[in-house]
Amino acid sequence: MSPKSGSNSTLTELSSQLATAVEVAANSVVAIHARRRIPSSGIVWRDGVIVSASHTVRRDDEIPVTLPNGDSTVATLAGRDSATDLIALRVQGGGAKSQTAPKADSSSLRVGSLVLAVGRPGKNVSASFGIVSAVGEGWRTWQGARIDRVLRLDLSVYDGFSGGPLVDASGAVLGLNNSALARGTPMALPAAAVDRVLDELLERGHVRRPFIGVAVQPVALSASLVKQHGLANNGGLLILSIAESSPAEKAGILLGDVLLEADSHTLARPDDLLDALSAVASNAAVSLKVLRGGTIKTVSVTPADRGETE
Amino acid sequence: MNISMLGSARAVSSNVNGLSELLRQAVVEVRSGESGSGTGIIWGGAGLVVTNAHCIRRGSGLQVDASGKWRDAHALAYHPHHDLALLAAPSVSGPLLELRDPESLRPGELVFAHGHPLGIRDSLAMGVLHAVTRDRSKSPRWIVADVRLAPGNSGGPLVDAEGRLIGVNSMVVNGLGVAVPASLVQRFVDRALSERAA
Repeated sequence: MSPKSGSNSTLTELSSQLATAVEVAANSVVAIHARRRIPSSGIVWRDGVIVSASHTVRRDDEIPVTLPNGDSTVATLAGRDSATDLIALRVQGGGAKSQTAPKADSSSLRVGSLVLAVGRPGKNVSASFGIVSAVGEGWRTWQGARIDRVLRLDLSVYDGFSGGPLVDASGAVLGLNNSALARGTPMALPAAAVDRVLDELLERGHVRRPFIGVAVQPVALSASLVKQHGLANNGGLLILSIAESSPAEKAGILLGDVLLEADSHTLARPDDLLDALSAVASNAAVSLKVLRGGTIKTVSVTPADRGETE
Repeated sequence: MNISMLGSARAVSSNVNGLSELLRQAVVEVRSGESGSGTGIIWGGAGLVVTNAHCIRRGSGLQVDASGKWRDAHALAYHPHHDLALLAAPSVSGPLLELRDPESLRPGELVFAHGHPLGIRDSLAMGVLHAVTRDRSKSPRWIVADVRLAPGNSGGPLVDAEGRLIGVNSMVVNGLGVAVPASLVQRFVDRALSERAA
């Protein structure tokens, strides 16, 4: 078999499509000069809004950015979320005119999909190539952020690539690459998660992390209790401690209370409580169904925002 | 499963097999004294081999192995700055590799590295072009590729999807493969041969 020109048409076509994908993506990839040594990458996500990996941006004001067209500008900080390591920056004037990144339909993400990581660790873009090696179920980072899905990648996220896009074979953005999200394992934050966090960052500068100030442990309830109160579930969350002057203390939650429901959502695991609190609107109260001394009570608690104090 | 999609994955695979066959015939293993071996590219179809200067230990016996037979070779020219060496190996021959103009390279296009990493004969690695770095006069200086190289790949070819030579794999920097552009290699060989003829 002699692969002279022409006989490799499929491979050549693939190669050319990949290079085109990089060119498409490059139109919205910027370099961010806010740390020593190699600059990091960022994506023009919406008009005048750039997202990147928060850990690569080591300053909070006058952040120098090189735009896709080579122009330099200065961005301002719109907000950071340490839990997803996402940062949002705003650019004015010419910078705001940079093309926003086309987004891929994340539901098309499958293990084995060909993907490219695109970075601009300087003036020019560069690329690395691989496949999606796993599409994880929702998980919670240790700071408590809920990420709907996480993309584990079989490709190299090189120095300066964090904050840049993971793109499909057409150049559409699937997520934001980050080598620091999971201790050096190449991962990407899916575009849907970026959108959700970005909405909050642009609205209030941080991501709301509602908390009521309790430590809980799952406990099983006796069959007679379940029967007596007609409970939907035979478990709940036992209150082990209550933080001083926390929303829970102010609302009169007591040690030994068992939380059964939050706004009608059953509480079986500690994550259920976090999920229920995340769904509570800003400054609104959550209605907790509590088992105390054999009787059911309803307590209304207004969660505080941990994100504000970060 | 979409059959036509499966078909193109299979076609890609088969195209890569073809590249491997071509490159297998276009390279030699280079051995210098007791030191480890590297890869060499049969240049111009026959009689000449290009490799990295660092694969050659000067003053010690130099041999190349094409198709399972070690043959004596000798160095004609070195270019330490570009890490290149030109060897005369009268009895070797192989296909003529077309050269790829570095100015036409696009980040993200597929590249293939062939060589004998860690002594494993005829290994092929696939990756994509990362960047082309330039010297002060803006001419291509290094080809940087997202491709996995190991000791023994040195001196071997980096080619594009059509088997055209992009450069000579020379080193690994921060996990990236770094190659000398084919244009520089061509210039080095031309100069070395004309100096010998003069």
